[in-house]
Amino acid sequence: MTYTILGRCPRTGRMGIGIATFSITVGRYCRGVKAMTGVTISQAFANERNNKLALRLLGQGFAAQSVLDQLLKNDRYFEYRQIGVIDRDGTAVAYSGPRTRGYSGHVVGDNHVAFGNGLVGSKVAEAIAAGFLAKPDADLEERLLMGIEAGRDAGGQGTIDDHKPERSAALLVYSQHPYPDIDLRVDLHPTAVEELRRVYSEYKPYEAYYRERERNPRGALPQEQFMAALTSRAAQ
Amino acid sequence: MTFSIIARCPRTGRLGLGIATFSIASGGRCEGILAGVGICKTQAFINRGNDLLALELLQQGHSPTHVMQMLEANDPEHAYRQIAILDREGNAAAHTGSGTRPWSGHKIGEGFVAFGNVLAGPQVVEAIASGFLEKPEDPLEYRLLGALEGARNSGGQVGGSGHLTERSAAIRVDADPDYPDIDVRVDLHDDAIVQLRRILDEFKLYEDFYRSRGRDPSTAITQGEFVAQLQAKRSTLSSRAQARDL
Repeated sequence: MTYTILGRCPRTGRMGIGIATFSITVGRYCRGVKAMTGVTISQAFANERNNKLALRLLGQGFAAQSVLDQLLKNDRYFEYRQIGVIDRDGTAVAYSGPRTRGYSGHVVGDNHVAFGNGLVGSKVAEAIAAGFLAKPDADLEERLLMGIEAGRDAGGQGTIDDHKPERSAALLVYSQHPYPDIDLRVDLHPTAVEELRRVYSEYKPYEAYYRERERNPRGALPQEQFMAALTSRAAQ
Repeated sequence: MTFSIIARCPRTGRLGLGIATFSIASGGRCEGILAGVGICKTQAFINRGNDLLALELLQQGHSPTHVMQMLEANDPEHAYRQIAILDREGNAAAHTGSGTRPWSGHKIGEGFVAFGNVLAGPQVVEAIASGFLEKPEDPLEYRLLGALEGARNSGGQVGGSGHLTERSAAIRVDADPDYPDIDVRVDLHDDAIVQLRRILDEFKLYEDFYRSRGRDPSTAITQGEFVAQLQAKRSTLSSRAQARDL
């Protein structure tokens, strides 16, 4: 049981993942983004090799559908997997195996895959897609987070009678570098999506500061002074 | 302001990294680890390009010492970086630039580097090393956690205005180039190392379940059933403990 949004920003080419699930430490399964290459996630009964294999195939130039076909042919348990792939052109494809559990399905459009399993119903995947599409001009990380928040608000995981909480969540965005632009996680929390929003809101004001002191260490403000400036700005 | 350890398990060859710091989401800046190749971690004033570049160079066959020389030649602000490098055999190199904030330093041991900056003093780096060496038979992830806890208990980070808490922490251990073995994180918390132990302990209970259901889904029980089994085990253990106390 998991719900996920894979997205690509058509303006910038940035790519990323938003994910939330009952399982703990889900960020561990999210090594599925490569700058200028593509984004993928294998979930449900996750095949741990799929993400890297898919990124290698995307890097070789295969299109999203061809990558997905190869993953399925390579895996005797493919019917238990749920897989999404977006290539660098924004072509998106997905597969929800017949042996994944509970309500399991996906909504695919240009530059996004909204999907999940063990969900209360198809409205969750639809809500994730709608959340992602609601503010097309926002930063990709904000759009991904809005996608999973909408999934949560539409009922999330479990059944009507037996809701399963989100215990872990992650948000990941790459732009042109081999390392991530945004990489935030909540590994074990009773309301992981709310906690991810909190971490994201706290992290955002630091983002430019962290980047600038890396590039220009000479004369960089110590972090304690930066925080004091943040606090006094908030007080004004 | 950060204290870290990179290490290789001599029994298994697994590679690992442990980090704790005042900055938020430090685990999101730890991509420099690759099974069968090595580890590089740049901190203080980070050069984000360093760690992945160092892995490429290690993969090409350069030694950690030579990789460090090449990182220096590639970076006009090398004096502001703190860098540790370990290769797959456990050979190490470390650099604590003169522009990093005090107290900063490192200690190279057999198969590990303990290092940090904006620390209470050299005793913190010594405590990282002794925490790591304390239980050599433990799995690498717990040795890394012991190192971080040792550092925290010996004073941790101290900036211009006094002691700084650990707001984020992470442990990563890799045995396969395609996916991590252990990857636990705390991105923002008042007591990040305490949280990290809680999450690692919890993850260890699920580790085999998660791995085996991915490898052979046809025989997997549901996570709901697994959680119920865990709870039953816990209540048996706690009632046994209560019986002992009576």
